[in-house]
Amino acid sequence: MSDSFVSYSVKKLRQRALGKGGFANADNSSYRCDATAWAILALVAAGEDHDNELLSLARTRLAASQLSDGRVSLSPEHPEIYWPTPLAILAWHQSPAHQARLSQAANFLLQNSGRHWQTQPEFAVKLDNTLKGWPWVDGNSSWVAPTALAIIALKTAGYGNQPRVSEAQRMLLDRECLHGGWNYGNKLVFGVEIRPMPEDTGIALDALQDSTAKSSLKRSLAYLKSAVKSLQTPIALAWSLLGLGAWGERPAAAPAMLSECLKRQDRYGVYDTTCLSLLILAARSSGGLEKIFNPDPVLPKG
Amino acid sequence: MGFTRREFLKAGIAGAVLAASGLYLWRRLVRPRWLEKTFIAKVSGYQADFASVILAGLRELGIAPEVIKGKRILLKPNLVEANPGKIHINTHPLVVRGAAEAFLKSGASQVLVAEGTAHCRDTLRMFEESGLSDVLWEDRIPFIDLNYQDGYALPNAGRFSRLTSLTFPATLRQVDLIVSLAKLKTHHWAGITLSMKNLFGVMPGSYYGWPKNVLHYAGIDAAILDINATLRPHLAIVDGIVGMEGDGPIMGDPKPVGALVMGRNLPAVDATCARVMKIDPYRVNYLRQSETCLGPIHEAQIIQVGETIASVATEFKLLEKIPAQRELRL
Repeated sequence: MSDSFVSYSVKKLRQRALGKGGFANADNSSYRCDATAWAILALVAAGEDHDNELLSLARTRLAASQLSDGRVSLSPEHPEIYWPTPLAILAWHQSPAHQARLSQAANFLLQNSGRHWQTQPEFAVKLDNTLKGWPWVDGNSSWVAPTALAIIALKTAGYGNQPRVSEAQRMLLDRECLHGGWNYGNKLVFGVEIRPMPEDTGIALDALQDSTAKSSLKRSLAYLKSAVKSLQTPIALAWSLLGLGAWGERPAAAPAMLSECLKRQDRYGVYDTTCLSLLILAARSSGGLEKIFNPDPVLPKG
Repeated sequence: MGFTRREFLKAGIAGAVLAASGLYLWRRLVRPRWLEKTFIAKVSGYQADFASVILAGLRELGIAPEVIKGKRILLKPNLVEANPGKIHINTHPLVVRGAAEAFLKSGASQVLVAEGTAHCRDTLRMFEESGLSDVLWEDRIPFIDLNYQDGYALPNAGRFSRLTSLTFPATLRQVDLIVSLAKLKTHHWAGITLSMKNLFGVMPGSYYGWPKNVLHYAGIDAAILDINATLRPHLAIVDGIVGMEGDGPIMGDPKPVGALVMGRNLPAVDATCARVMKIDPYRVNYLRQSETCLGPIHEAQIIQVGETIASVATEFKLLEKIPAQRELRL
């Protein structure tokens, strides 16, 4: 991956670093915990982890978003919105000063889940809702993306052998679309198959890495290998590359795809922190998201 | 001092009679006074001059140029899912561009197009795959992804649901007029999706999830009413050139109607659209409840300008297997 691509993106991220620590999601805006976590991961992936002060301040600012039960919420006004918790776990990983925070966050996830109940045959939505995953917001149903993120975070932090993790992986497998791929989390509604989406397929594939036989994911991998060819937008492209990479199917054209995506800023303006971070992560990881902590020696850093 | 059971029952009955009288008087005296206009244009296809159609609609609705001149306009299309060649899912890009052109010709200082897709976490992907990106780029009309913006909270002005506040994306505070640029469709949870339900798409996914599950748990009908009561959008334009029938809002079938419906009051617009679909607005839960405080849905209170409903009305297929679509027929 071109150094200039990563250098440009890192420069933009640094411009959004805040004086009190942490990052904003857009230019001239305020602290966001999700943007902060993503930026930390991106800077680590880009080989900027030597900048201890910037990362340390950011991790500490993230700690201020953590509540007493271990969850990390999107904002103080919304303690129920706890989907950033797995991002915080990843951001604190390998930071000795934040291991206690990480453990609290992991324990929160292990003790909480989305809303689950026994579905009846006559229900319009066909899925096994007894399998526990994680929601976007406390008290809501479990969905593919927050569940996948939690799996990735817990595995990375050493909690991969927890029963909740394997159950969540079974939940993801239950949500796989009938002809392959994943969407937000429904496969059949009123008897009609719902279509997959690349960003959800990518994140689900990453979360399922090493948990099931590759042959059982043949259709989903085929869907994503086809879909990725036409992707030009950051979230879908980055997650597709990470998901395919997790199964050794990262396309050779990935660097060119990422460069083209970055050029779309001519049309859309500078991408937000989440998008830029995801692009850096997809550029730097030959496998899934967790690979940034065990980089492939073949891919150059910095 | 305490009440006897008899006194309590008398008081309860008196209260009920008083409430019923109030409702009766409101219906007889107040409701008839609330009049709103809606405009229907016949449009045969998507190659029409939508800017001219919409400008005509603004004139017929009595929207004076001063209302738009110098203002910042936000157009919120219905961008749900992209499926190449399927023009019945999303607000057509040429309708969106036509609306932008109409407002710019009317002197708006800025026109933005914005969306926070409910199922897709990559709004820009929807924007591109729907064809809207290329169309708007020709005129350099900016597009805003509402899903990841910082939010600001307002007290729930509707209180139809248990939600005490609603969080909106920062862009909504930076515009003067909010236009719901919807699509004429059935819906498998709400019965129909028109200009009011379209505003689910302004609620940021970062706060409400993908899908916007917080609103589902609050009650879809109640959430529709709360969002509209709190946000108070200014105008609705509904793309009914080709709508959707059956299993909407995504998997249904194309339904050519050849109509564009506009109005300043969203319940009145939705009620008109429902009649165009040969659906009884009083049988649609959120519309029936709209009448209490958001706008009229009774035909006698909606001044119809442009074409008549009868000239464009066509029966939209409703599916018996979908409870929300049962017994909606006009």
